[in-house]
Parts: sequence; C-alpha cells; structure tokens
Amino acid sequence: MKKTPLLFALCLASSPLAAEEEAQRAASIFFEKEVRPILANRCYECHGEKKQKGGLRVDALGYLKTGGDTGPALVPGEPEQSPLIEAIRYQKEDFQMPPKQKLPDAEVAVLEKWVKLGAPWPVQAHETAVVTEGGFTEEQRKFWCFQPLANPALPPLTGGWAHNGIDRFIAQKHAELGLTPAPEADTREFARRATMDLHGLPPSREQLETLERDRSPARYERFIDSLLASPHYGERWAQHWLDLARYAESDGYNADEFRPAAWPYRDWVIKSLNEDKPYDQFVREQLAGDEIAPEKPEVLVATGYLRNPVYEWNQADVRGQWDLILTDITDTTGELFLGLSFGCARCHNHKFDPILQKDYFRLRAFFAPIQWRDDLTLGTPEQQAATAKQKSEWEAATVNVRAAMDELVSPILKGRVNTALKRFNDELQTMVRKEPGEREPMERQLVNLCERQLRRARKQLDPLKSLKTDEAKGKYASLVEELKKFDALKPAALMEAFVATDVGPVAPPTTFKTRKGETEVAPGFLTLLEPGEPEIPSVGGSTGRRTALANWITRPDNQLATRVIVNRVWQFHFGRGLVASTSDFGKLGEKPSHPELLDWLARRFVSEGWSLKKLHKEIMLSATYGQTARREPSPSALQADPSNRFLWRFNPRRLDAEQVRDAMLVASGELNLKEGGAPEDANGTRRSIYTIKKRNNQNEILRSLDAPSGFASTAERQSTTTPTQALLLLNGEWPLTRARKLSGKVRSIEEAWEAALGRPPSERERETADAFLAKRLGVSDRRIPVVAASGDVPGLFRENTEHERLLDQTGVWEGDEFTVEAVVSLDSVDSGAAVRTVASRWSGGKDSLEAYGWSLGVTGEKSRFKPRNLIVQLVGEDENANTGYEVVASNLRVELGHRVHVAATVSCAEHTVTFFLQDLDQPGTSVQKVVVPHVIRAKLGFGASSVVVGGLNKRSPAHQWDGQIEALRIAAGGLSDAELNGDAGKWAAGLIQWKAGQGPGLFWAWSGDGKMTETADAYRQALNDLCQVLLNSNEFLYLH
Amino acid sequence: MSCDQIKRPTSRREFLQQAGCGFGAVALAALTQEPLLGAANALNPVAAKIPNHKPRAKNVIFLFMEGGPSHLDTFDYKPLLNTLAGQRLPASFKPPLTAMGEANSPLLECKREWKQRGQSGLWVSDWFENVALHADDLTVIRSCASSGINHAGGVCSMNTGSVFGGRPSLGAWVSYGLGTENENLPGFVVIKDSEGTVVNGVRNWGTGFMPAVYQGVEFNPEGVPIKYLDNPKGVSVERQRDKLDLLSALNRQYGETRADNTELDARIRGYELAYRMQSEAPQAVDLSRETEATRKLYGMDREETAVFGRNCLLARRLVENGVRFVQLYSGAGSKWDSHKGIEKAHSKLCRSVDQPIAGLLSDLKSRGMLEDTLVIWGGEFGRTPMSEAGDGRDHNPTGFTMWMAGGGLQGGRAIGATDELGLYAVEDRLHVHDLHATILHLLGVDHTKLIYSNKGRPERIDQNEGHAFLKI
Repeated sequence: MKKTPLLFALCLASSPLAAEEEAQRAASIFFEKEVRPILANRCYECHGEKKQKGGLRVDALGYLKTGGDTGPALVPGEPEQSPLIEAIRYQKEDFQMPPKQKLPDAEVAVLEKWVKLGAPWPVQAHETAVVTEGGFTEEQRKFWCFQPLANPALPPLTGGWAHNGIDRFIAQKHAELGLTPAPEADTREFARRATMDLHGLPPSREQLETLERDRSPARYERFIDSLLASPHYGERWAQHWLDLARYAESDGYNADEFRPAAWPYRDWVIKSLNEDKPYDQFVREQLAGDEIAPEKPEVLVATGYLRNPVYEWNQADVRGQWDLILTDITDTTGELFLGLSFGCARCHNHKFDPILQKDYFRLRAFFAPIQWRDDLTLGTPEQQAATAKQKSEWEAATVNVRAAMDELVSPILKGRVNTALKRFNDELQTMVRKEPGEREPMERQLVNLCERQLRRARKQLDPLKSLKTDEAKGKYASLVEELKKFDALKPAALMEAFVATDVGPVAPPTTFKTRKGETEVAPGFLTLLEPGEPEIPSVGGSTGRRTALANWITRPDNQLATRVIVNRVWQFHFGRGLVASTSDFGKLGEKPSHPELLDWLARRFVSEGWSLKKLHKEIMLSATYGQTARREPSPSALQADPSNRFLWRFNPRRLDAEQVRDAMLVASGELNLKEGGAPEDANGTRRSIYTIKKRNNQNEILRSLDAPSGFASTAERQSTTTPTQALLLLNGEWPLTRARKLSGKVRSIEEAWEAALGRPPSERERETADAFLAKRLGVSDRRIPVVAASGDVPGLFRENTEHERLLDQTGVWEGDEFTVEAVVSLDSVDSGAAVRTVASRWSGGKDSLEAYGWSLGVTGEKSRFKPRNLIVQLVGEDENANTGYEVVASNLRVELGHRVHVAATVSCAEHTVTFFLQDLDQPGTSVQKVVVPHVIRAKLGFGASSVVVGGLNKRSPAHQWDGQIEALRIAAGGLSDAELNGDAGKWAAGLIQWKAGQGPGLFWAWSGDGKMTETADAYRQALNDLCQVLLNSNEFLYLH
Repeated sequence: MSCDQIKRPTSRREFLQQAGCGFGAVALAALTQEPLLGAANALNPVAAKIPNHKPRAKNVIFLFMEGGPSHLDTFDYKPLLNTLAGQRLPASFKPPLTAMGEANSPLLECKREWKQRGQSGLWVSDWFENVALHADDLTVIRSCASSGINHAGGVCSMNTGSVFGGRPSLGAWVSYGLGTENENLPGFVVIKDSEGTVVNGVRNWGTGFMPAVYQGVEFNPEGVPIKYLDNPKGVSVERQRDKLDLLSALNRQYGETRADNTELDARIRGYELAYRMQSEAPQAVDLSRETEATRKLYGMDREETAVFGRNCLLARRLVENGVRFVQLYSGAGSKWDSHKGIEKAHSKLCRSVDQPIAGLLSDLKSRGMLEDTLVIWGGEFGRTPMSEAGDGRDHNPTGFTMWMAGGGLQGGRAIGATDELGLYAVEDRLHVHDLHATILHLLGVDHTKLIYSNKGRPERIDQNEGHAFLKI
C-alpha cells in the first residue's frame, strides 16, 4: 500500500518539499521539547487518557479542538480565542487552570506561542487521538471518505485533448501541476492494452487487423464494445473479484480438502459480469441471495461468498473455529465493500479511523446467524421435486436391502461415531446429544460443524474392510450387488450447493469483551454514519439481517461503497486507484489524487444503473486511458509527480500470473477456451481462471508470478522478480513445453515473432536472432558417447551401450488398472538410493501433471527401503485431487545375478499394488506374493512419458537397468496367478509386449536411435530456444 | 509520525541517503509496489540492511521437530509426573482443550533417565545424551506457548505467528528486515529430512502478504539443490548461456526506449542471478569437500543419523556461504507426533537428531561460527502429561520447551517454567509471538519497528501482541 510519509523525515530530501519539511521539523522539535512536557506534567493528570474532567482531554490536538463540556478549548493560531490560554493566564476567577497554582510565566508563554504558531502537533503512531465512545473528534467526522458524495461541476474544457468528463478532471490537475499529457498510444499498444485489460489475453491477429482497417472515429468504441460483449470479459474481471473475495477451491488447513462444489460461485461471478448485472444486485446476491430468492439456484449460489473462509475439518475446538470464520467474513466484508480496515477494531476501537470496537461487532452481528449448508442442491423447485420424488421411489424399492445393510454396519458405525464425538469437549458433546428442537441457534451452528466431522467418520467406514467376519463381509458384498440393481431408479444427482443461509429466524447473540465486561450488540452500521439500530424485518425463515446490510451497502448515497467499487475499477484499468489503497480509505490509506473525479464517477456509476460495463467504456474511451505508456518522464514531471499519480502517461505494468500463463498458451496455440465448469489442473491448457485453486498447493507458475493463495482478500497483486521465478520459467517443464509447441508451429523467425509478440521482428531483432541461430548451428551437438554393445547377449540393458533403454512406439495406454510382468536378471544395484528400472511410464518428476506415471524397479544401496527391494513408484492424483507421489515397496528382495520372474498389478480402484516374485534359478522356491496399499487414485500415465523398458523416459544412468530383460509385457487389469508365467513363451497377448530374441521391431526403438523426446535436429533445437527466449522476454511479460 | 514507519524514497539518491542514516532496516518495505517510474526498485530489495541495534546473532539455524516433541521426556524434568502416573489430572488443574480430547486420561509416566549436565546442571534426559554435552551452551525455554492445538494451526503459528495462513514466516520477516549477504544464494533456505510434506506445505516458508523475494527456498539435500536449478535435459551449459545472452540482448533492445522502467532492468538481472545460482548453489551444498572426521562428527557414518547429520552439515555450509536463515525439518509430515507408542517413536527420532545436532554445535563452535549463529530447537508444541491410547501423549500448546544456543547467548540457563506436571507454562510464559520478538531481538531487530504495511494495516510479525524477552 502506498503511504504518504508524514513528519518522519530523518534525512534531508532533495525534493522541493524540503523547505516545508524543514519547517515542520522545527515545529515538531519545539512541540516535543517545550510544549508536550508542560501538557504532560501539568494537565494530563485530570485531562488525559484516564480522567477527562469537564469532558476534556488535552493529550491530542483533536480533543483540544473538539473541547469538553463547554466547547472547543483551543483555536489554532488564535490564542486570544482559546479558552486554554484564558485559563492558564488566570484571567477569570472561576476559570483557572491548573486549579491549584498558576503556571510559571515562561510556561504560559510557551503555550501562547504554540497556539499562535497554529498549535503544531506531530501525529505519532502511538498517540493519535483515541476515539472515545460515540465522541468522535471533529477531524474524524470531517475525514474525506465519510463525507457524502459531492456533486462536482465538470472542470471547464480547455484545449482539444479531452474526450470526456474524466479527461477534464485529469487535465485540470495537469494544469495545476504543470504537467502535459502523453501522446496517444498507437493502435497496437492500445489494442494490446485493452485486450489484456478486458480479456486477459493478447489480441488475435484478426482483432488487430479489424481495428487497423477501421478508419472511422468510432473505431475504438466499436472495439471496446466488442471486447465487452465477449465472454472473455467476465473471465478476466472475475479474477479481480475472486482475489478480493479470497476465493479458493480448498479448505486451506493441513488436509487442504478440495471443495468440489465451490466453482459454481466462480461461474456465477463470471456470468454476472458478462450479463452486466447491476453492481448493487451483484453485492446483494452475494450477501443475501438466500433471503432474496432462495428458490432460484442462480441467485442462491452467490452466497458461496460466505463459504470462502478457510476451514479445518478436524478441528476439535469447534467454537473457536466458528469464531474465526465469522471474524474472517466480517473483516473481508468491511474491506471489500466498504474499504475500511474493520479488522483493526476487533480487539479495540480503531486506532486511526472512527470505527468503534462496537461497530466491528455490529457488523459481525449481520453474519452471526449464518449456517453453512451441506444439504442443499442447485436445482430449480421443479428439478428438486422431481429428484425428491425419484429418490423416494428408489428408497421405497430398496428399503429392505438398505435395512439389511444398516443392520450389519450400524454397530460398527456407532462405535466410530462415538469415538469421533468424544474428541469434542463436554459442552459440545452435550449439544450434539440434545434433541434438535431443543438447541439454541448458536448450538445449532456449532452442532452443524460437529456433524460435519461425524459425517466424515461415517463416510470413512468401509464395511468390506471393517466387518469382523468373512461371512458378514460376504453378506454385505452381496447386498451391495443387490442394491446396485436399483441404480437405474436412482435420480441423477443435482449439483451440491456450496452456500449459506441463516440458521433460522432468530439470531444467536453477538457479544464482545471490553474492559467493562461482556456486552451484547445488535446489528448496526458505522456509528459515525448511522448511530441508531436499524429495524430488520425477518425474511421467511431467515433473520433478514444480511438483506438489511446489503441494502445499506448498496444505497445510492452510500459514500463508502460507491466510491470503493468505482475506485477498484479504476485501479484495475490503470494499475493504481484514484485512492491508491483500494481496500483502505481510512487514515492510514492514501487520500484520493482526484477527489472530485472519484465522486463524479461514483455518482455517474449509480445514476447509470450501477453498470460496470458502462464504467469500463467511459474510462477506456477517455484520452487519459488512451495515452501511451512509452513516454520518458520530463524533468518537470519527475519533479512534480515522479510516481505518475496524476497520469501524465499510462502506467507500464507487468502482466499478472493468469495473463502470463494464458498468453503463453495463446502463443503456443494450445489455449483451451472452454467456458465454465469444474476446475482443472493448471498443468493443462484451460484458461487460468478455470484451473484448480488449492490454497496450500498452488500451481507453481501462477504462484511464482504472484497469484494470491486465497487466504485473505487481495486488493492489489504484487509484481515480483525473483531468481527462482527465472529458473522456473527457463528450466521448468511447463514453460519449456509451451516453447516447444510454439516452435513446432512456426517455420521462421518472423513467424515466431508474430506468434509470441504479435508483430514482425525489427531489422535489428532479426539480425540478433539470425546470429543466434547461426552460432547454434555451427556448434555440433554433444552426443552421449556410445560404446559398442557388450557382446551379443539379447536383452542386455547397460549404460553407455547402444542398448540402454527401449522406447515404446505404439502409444498404447494401459490405464489405471494394469499388470507389468517380466523375466529379468540384475547384475548390480545403484550405489546411491536410485532405482534400477525394469519398466516405466515416467520421467522421474514428482509434482506436475507431466510427471504423472509409474515405474517398476529395484532399490539401490542407500535406499530407505533397503537395497534390492522390488518396488513400484506412482505419481498420480490422490483422493484429495492433489498430485501424489508414492513409493510402494514390496519388501521382496531380488537376488543379484539370478533370473527372476517379477510382476506387479497396479490398481487405482483398489488402491493396491500386488507384487509377485519368483527366483527361477532356485527351482522349487515358491512364488512370493504381497499386496501393498497406496494412496494414488487416478490419472497414472496422464503425463508426457511413454512406456520405456530398462529405464525412465529420460536418460538417467542411476535408473538404468543393469542386466538382462528377457521379456516384458503389460496387460490390462489384474492377472490371475495362473496367467502369470515365468516362461514368457506361454504368455497370452498383452497390450504391450517385448521379447529379447525378436529385436525392437516396429513397435520399439532403442533410446540411441534418435527417436527421443528431445529433438536431435539442431535447427529445431535452436528454434525451440528462440521461442523460449521470446516467451521470457520483457516485451512478452510487460505492457509498456 | 504516521503508523507507517516507512518513508518511501522517491529517488535512488534519497534512498542511499536514508540508508546511510541508519534507516536501512525497514526502509525498503514497499519498494516493490512502487509504480515503475523513477522509484528505487531497481535496487536489490534483498540487499543487506542495517539492524536496529547491535545484533548478537547474524544467522539462524532453526531445527524444527515437526509433529511436536515431548518436552516432558527431554528437557523439562517433572518428577511429580511419575509419582502421579496412572491417576487423572488433579482437580486443581484447569481442564485443557486438547486435540484428541484426552483431558481425562490418566497421566503417563516418563521412562527416561534424567541427569543434571555440565557446569550449569541443566536437566536433560537420556534421549539427548549428545546434545547434553553442550548443556552449558543451551538456553532452555521451558515456558513456551502457542495458539494452535492442531498441527495445521501449530506449525503455521510457529512459523508465521498465526494459526491462519496468509502471513509471512519468521524467515521471511528476517530476510525482509535484514536482507541477505549473499547475492548468489537465497537468504532463506529450508531443508526437509524426507519426502514427507510439512504440514500446510510450502506456505510455511512463504511470504504471505509480502513480496515473494523474501520467501524461503526449499533445497533438496541430495542431487540438484533447488527445483529447476539444472538446465533442462539435453541443454548444455553453452546452450543455456546462449539462450540467456539472446534474452538479454532482446531485453536490452526493448529497454533502450524505456529506460525509466527500472523493473525491466531488474528482470534482466533476475535471470543473470538465476544463472549464477545455477553454478553457486551446487557448490554450496557439495559435501565432498568435507573431511571424514567432520562427516563423522555429524553422524553421517551411521544409518540412523546420516540424513539429519547431512542436513545439519548442509546448514553450516549454507550459513558459511551467507545464507541468513536456515530451517531444517526433522520428521517432515508430523513424524514427531506420538499419540501412541511415544517410547518407540520418540526414541528413534531423538536418536536420529541427537548426534547431528551435537555435531552441529561442536562444529559451529570450533569454527568460531557459534557466536554469530543462533541455533533454535523445538516443534510446534509439546505433549501432554496425560496419556493417549495408553502409551502416547496428546498435543500440548499450553506449555512446552524450546532451546536456543549460540548467537551470543550465555548458555547453561533455563528460562521460565511449566507447572509441576508440565501442562501449562506458569512462569515467564513466552507465547510464539514473544519467541518471534525475542529471536528478532537477538538479530538486532526491534520487532515493533519491523513493520510491513499491508492494505493500510501496519503489520508486525507478532500481530502487535509480542514482547521480546530481553532478559535472555
């Protein structure tokens, strides 16, 4: 946040303000050395923080000016009109201070001088006037953001620069400060800015050409209209709102549980923006959609706003957690809609702004009755009724089956639930055990959170594992089969509603602790603006509180809410708000650079029907927005306005995380423009707004480019440059793949420039690029030294021979349920912890979608699983939709030098790997078989690797098989013991098969054959690198 | 003055003047958010800065025993616990709120042998026989307290001061306040002892609302130390250098007509720094230059201590190379969490860290580095005197032990105390906020002056609640 330094100039600044600062400093020294000691020694005892005789405090200027029971005590600059001076002069007999003895004359003189100087009082952090209950200082009442919206007249039109009203205000300031506006941006600069701004995407060639062809005066208007009409507008601007609403798709604590039903709120935001839903309605639906139109799923879903706080599903301190949730909602709401740091007033009256601790809890009281609902669905009343009807039919048909299942399970279930219940303290246990009808509203809320935990205990029970006898298990399994027969009767599930409502028509009490004890408060607004308590009629089964709050926030004359939203829109367009601290309009925030413009815009916004699209258009068609960013500051601009607060050019900006990621996908030609729906992994190609947002597990590209993690409302993105970010962009798999894809679709330097930067290279750039390619093509590739294959043993896999690894060329995919079987012998294990690999579909990576895969191998000397352990490594999605990496160890040991028959059946459905090992050199030894559980649930092999025999998809000597692989096959699903065979000649066909005697054939290629993933074509390589450089260039990453 | 302590320089010159006036510690606060023009943000925001007062320590090695080590069985001797073992918590104790609801379970005896160690006579149990040899260097804080009763809240709290995510970690505050003395390595490095995920993941060393430049960088103990440090497969050093030269050339051409945009320049330097890191970082973690005796000192010759020993040795090397804040995790993934079978679980973990930590202390001392380096040991909380599942202990955030060594601390001292059963901190209670304030104090930073302005709120590491324990 931007701050204006006050009197804290430790060093001489070289600005024109230096003289003024010097004077202020002198005044401040005078005050601290001479004035304050007198006040402190002589007055504070009766007129300070503890006592305020006559209602007067003198420990801050605001108090003196406001005065006590008899009116102001001090008029700056006017000692003769200041009762303080009158009193210390002992002029009147009944008005003398200090009462016991007159001050020494010297001290009286100091105070007289001080008042005459204008009573300078340097404001220090720890002693800013503390607000007294209901008694705000005059200064606070007059603070700019609490003033009603002004109705400023448009400044007179001068010169020909201005396009619209906005420009007149801007030009007025320019004139005052001696600034001149920058020239208009050229078409390309404007088009890229506007498209990035409204769509978060670079302009397409068609868009650019259309605009360039259009010669009419209204061409920019038409261009902006077309951008605003596109669904990409909502996709871009929703990102801003989601940052502010701290939207995420996971709980945020350790488990960071996925929230599969959160995305409809995201889609609601996008849709609302695209429809240009009036902002007042947009706010009302989020705060109180359940009260406004509970039967309309498209409105109810907006209350997802109330579900955004972080949550810990296994928190035993349920009461504490609920308190945190309400705190979070209160703080965010205060910042987001009102632009005030309400959070500061939770423990005490706000130190700087006129927000009482009571006001904090008055605001919180609006949310006190909410209930997080897990029992609702997003369906119209008709859909709900139809679903309910069908469900009851299914229930009627299955009543006996389910009763039989319950009978088996309920004893175990009871125990489980009871154990879970006992984690809560006695108070909560008592609440849970009460009859629902007997619970107080607050108890219903807490029990709701307890129930979520108990439900989970129920859900986690797997009867097929937990039932005690095989007989019971068998019976249960057959009942499951029986139940399945009725699946056709089951209604299709409606989308779960991730929403909130009130707990009922009566709210639980809202109390807060002060020094005097606990006080109960009713809902109310800022005391400064609305001291009374609003009448709140209940709405249906709801208290109506949030409707009342929403109505107050969206009053056309709400001076905070209207300014806040207009200012945010300005900020996202220009990179900085008219009030730079967009979520803090208070004293610690910045004052508006153009207060009249802010009020003018706010009024216009309301009178134009709270239309965001109209506001965008007005701003973007202004000459102010149309200025170029490419203007070097003149010396006078540097003097008067070095930080460009007054907009004498457009602000250069780095693209934000989503813009960069999406732009890379546009450049590579891969961007998937599908709209809406469940989020997908950001390693894929969907637009960033549709990628999974897990608080603890953000996508590394987005995180590295400063996308917020969603714990708190984010009003302004950081824009950081770090070496780790550079490493990721240079060496990371995802950006490299984009560069490769980009280079794959271009044939020349020109085309590369067009695709990445939307323009042809300049002559100089061409030369630079040519020189790069020439140098690269002159340098021969360093290839892996190849020594002759050792002997002619078929199936021998060894490092630095022609037969290192065998790559599958068929592209057949085995899925998530498969068996790998092989006959092998191993000559050595790795001396470190690496795994000698029999077969794999894996690059060795562990945490990106491209690394998803598996491998079967034998552990090395220093493995934590001990050497010679037959293991499977899996990278895929775990039950939480997180990327999971797991080593599944059989603890079966492979004897070096022995021919062994190994197999592993991997099942994601069963969450197991079944290993087989038989030593063929020791006839008579039995087959060893073990089943080992794992946590990976899906998507094995979603990665970029193909099947490889004898190693990983990339060359890695440590993972290289060292010995023979006589035969290998991969078959779908599990194989019975009878189907597995140590004699490969007896194998039935599999999906993928290889036998040493047959050579690589058409379906396999040795890794040395040039059919590797990284191209050996030097020109192609150099072009890859060139494309990668373009995607890392400042021009790609900046709007400047 | 305003609550915001940061005077934002408007020019490079002004910045340098201020820095020269001893203003440095917090002056750069908001630089990275300055608009591109004319601001001083081309200056390196992580450059070394000047502390508020004379520091006792310059570097920190934080040994984080993740999951919650039992103070009752290691550094906080409670004879009464064994006297009352098997009984319920006496009625005179306020019933605690515990994670697993074990307030009413019988007290669990401590099976350790306790001895007074060194000249100072500090009590240390036989689980830390080797660390005990350094008793006279330890300052044991027996009265720690935290707000998180679960791992998620506890680990987050110990790292950031809040049970909630979204705030900067201690290491980030230190980087922000003091900067780094090394251009080619990160100022804040984290190393785990296994592939387990530390509770809450990477945000434990994140920066919350601060710019990402202050974040901790995770080093892999083996192989490539930093993710993406290696060139992509098949890309030689020359090829990488060529790429960077091309990038730099294009960026310079672009920047010629945009000279006032200092961020563009910072980006060029960012890539160069990344390139230097590619060669520097592997050297910093290259243990092949260490002698056999040193490796042995850290227990690298024995399987059970090899992993943590290697990490401790890495920590020393990183500090030597100018890394300001190193955090080592033992038991990544809550492995110290011993709800049942504490005897077996803790025995193993204590064995795995005891020799390495003792080796680290000896090595730092013999190299004269202990004076400047503050070594901190602890977890997110301690454990309850009450038993759980018969032979385990539940989480106890209301009273637990951490210790510090080096950093100019006197050593051989115990600070604060828990009650007679080790449940609540009762004397000189130091909440995590106080601990953080105290650590900053030892680094020469007045935590009340280390302020970062976020959305108008002047944020401190302690959320305005902590007090540095100056008697330390």
